[in-house]
Amino acid sequence: MDMITDDLKTPFSQLLLSIADDKLIQGHRASDWTGVAPILEEDIAFSAIAQEEIAHAAELYRLVADLTGGNADALAFGRAAEEYRCASIVELVDEFDWATAIARHFFCDHLDGLRFGRLANSCFTPVAGLAARIQAEESVHIEHVDTWVQHLGHGGDDARGRMQQALDALAPHASMMFEATQGGELVESAGLFPKADADMFDQWLTGLKKITGQAGLTLNVTRPAPDAVGGRRGQRSGDFAELLDEMSEVYRQEPEAAW
Amino acid sequence: MGLSKIRQIEAHDDSELSFPPEGDAKPYEVFIQLNRGQPHVHSGTVDAVDGKMALSYAKKHFGRDQECVHMWVVPREAMISTNYDGEIIWPLTDQGYRLVRGYAIDVRRKWERFRDQEELDRYQDDDIKEMF
Amino acid sequence: MSAGVTTAVELKMDWEIQEDPQRTADFQARIDAKGLIEVDDWMPHNYRVGMLRMCEHHANSEIVGALPEGEWITRAPSLLRKLALIAKVQDEVGHGQMLYHVCQDLGKPRDQMLRDLCTGKTKYHNVFNYPAPTWADVAMIQWLVDGAAILNQKSLAEGSYGPYVRTMKRINMEEAFHFKSGEDMVLTLMSGTPRQKKMAQEAFDRWWAPCLMFFGPPDSDSTKTGPFMTWRIKTKTNDTLRQTYVDRFAPAAKALGLIIHVAHKDKDGMVAIKPDGNPDMVVDEQIQFDEESGHWGFTQPDWDEFFRVIKGNGPCNKQRVALRRFSHEQGHWVRQAVMGSAGLPPSAN
Ligand SMILES: [Fe+2]
Ligand SMILES: [Fe+2]
Repeated sequence: MDMITDDLKTPFSQLLLSIADDKLIQGHRASDWTGVAPILEEDIAFSAIAQEEIAHAAELYRLVADLTGGNADALAFGRAAEEYRCASIVELVDEFDWATAIARHFFCDHLDGLRFGRLANSCFTPVAGLAARIQAEESVHIEHVDTWVQHLGHGGDDARGRMQQALDALAPHASMMFEATQGGELVESAGLFPKADADMFDQWLTGLKKITGQAGLTLNVTRPAPDAVGGRRGQRSGDFAELLDEMSEVYRQEPEAAW
Repeated sequence: MGLSKIRQIEAHDDSELSFPPEGDAKPYEVFIQLNRGQPHVHSGTVDAVDGKMALSYAKKHFGRDQECVHMWVVPREAMISTNYDGEIIWPLTDQGYRLVRGYAIDVRRKWERFRDQEELDRYQDDDIKEMF
Repeated sequence: MSAGVTTAVELKMDWEIQEDPQRTADFQARIDAKGLIEVDDWMPHNYRVGMLRMCEHHANSEIVGALPEGEWITRAPSLLRKLALIAKVQDEVGHGQMLYHVCQDLGKPRDQMLRDLCTGKTKYHNVFNYPAPTWADVAMIQWLVDGAAILNQKSLAEGSYGPYVRTMKRINMEEAFHFKSGEDMVLTLMSGTPRQKKMAQEAFDRWWAPCLMFFGPPDSDSTKTGPFMTWRIKTKTNDTLRQTYVDRFAPAAKALGLIIHVAHKDKDGMVAIKPDGNPDMVVDEQIQFDEESGHWGFTQPDWDEFFRVIKGNGPCNKQRVALRRFSHEQGHWVRQAVMGSAGLPPSAN
């Protein structure tokens, strides 16, 4: 099916925005390492991943724009802070700490693998096709980040300590990626974001724990309370205002102009 | 100005770094194939600690500027090479007897006794080009 | 591909050195016949050192060149520009990686090169010591600086050292994208709002002179190009390249409505402001096509400024090296961890 009923447009675009915003901000944070990453080859690889995240976000914004109007750039750069739907994990500055950057990608990329798997089965065909493509690229991101978790876990006491600390610090934010979006149940029951056989949170945690276990690291993530309110409902973390100012600094000078 | 934090660093002196030289990781040679059926061509070198890391870096570095369908990475230490100086690969004695060019002129001249020019040109045009 | 890496090379020029006359003659004959030298060919000591130095300087320039534009990745004004800018800066890092490898194979470890760069022992291209205070500077860098780089690198691709020449050709393919995307940005700004046009003109005023300086001091001032020309490490003189550059960019700028000024810069690399509040600059009256010579005229840039900046006293020298150093220091523990974790247990791989 390539049309959806009006009542589903808003809840579905809320879901798509939550994913697109996660990706845009994750890519934005990652791209800040371009040119200054710890190893030249990694610099190139990490920039490639940043590009893919932002390119995925752009495609999702175009879908949202088709559903609810507007355009991709206005969605990416032109909203008020409380209109963004990303989770706090992508908003936090990593303070130029590689372990934190890796931990962020570890949590996010594993979830992307799962949620695009579900979207690939969406009854809304434009999303399903796109999601299958994105999922394939995500599996490469997962492989990349898993290798890093392994290298740092096995890279001596100092590195393991830093990696463990980063995982612990981001864990509470990571779980908030599972905060329900507005009208999320509706979107699930309509088959737009079909439920998988196994619970997504459990699947996600199992996948993560397999890697941390091999890397000699531990993971403590708990499911968010059903009534927890965070980024999916527009509550922003402390680092977001500055991020948005920076990201939209030029765009807002002349929002109507072509750049 | 909304410059990202990590790029606002100002302080700088030319003193030595506080840690000793680290050395380089191992070089891996990267070969890419642009289309199925074509040969793999050397494309560059990446430094990595193992083959898996080398392949991952090679994909993102040398697999992105051109469309590419397949890739090899080889640890440089596994490659054994000849020397430009004095090492003979192609023998110095005439190899004409095992090359097309060793026969082309004679064959043409001999044919001329059996066929006229025009017929012969046409015949040679139909020759199996890729073999020459 | 050869594994013939020389590690014990003394990396200093030595003009007193006595090279084997027969080998030197054969070497020069290959170069004169437009042949290429490969890493495990015999080469004169000064050729190796000269090539290594030039290539290291070039690699450093790519890595440091990633910094001024890198500042704008997080502020790019559209999704397309953001993606293109990350890709562009990523390419520059890739160029650095490839060029460092040419040097590594000539005998200097990358680790040592990065250390030398961030402790001020080696230099990088002067042009990256200028500031990029607005988005329009990104456009101008990609159009004017990458344009200059292409011209220069095209001539370097005609050099004599095989690994460097091949890298140059590859790099130029990517520079072409940088240049096109820069052209697109400049065209967009110059077709835009009055504010955008003003931004573009101001950025142009900042970058024109550094781009003229890009090709190095006038031929009369630059010493020791002699052997590098005979060895085809360099293939064109600074002044020749500069004139080719002006011939291409002066008319293009004029056509776009950009005005070429002769400007005085303050210590921050910005066009100085006169006491009356106006920028300290005049229209460059020399920018005229000369029918007779077939070339465009131009006013020479301020060469005193050039030598000041090259000595480390430019607007951004300290800042650029500091960020490079910070990056290297912050990455130390990561590289240590990776090197130490080589050969992970099979389950982990
Ligand atoms: Fe470059
Ligand atoms: Fe470039």
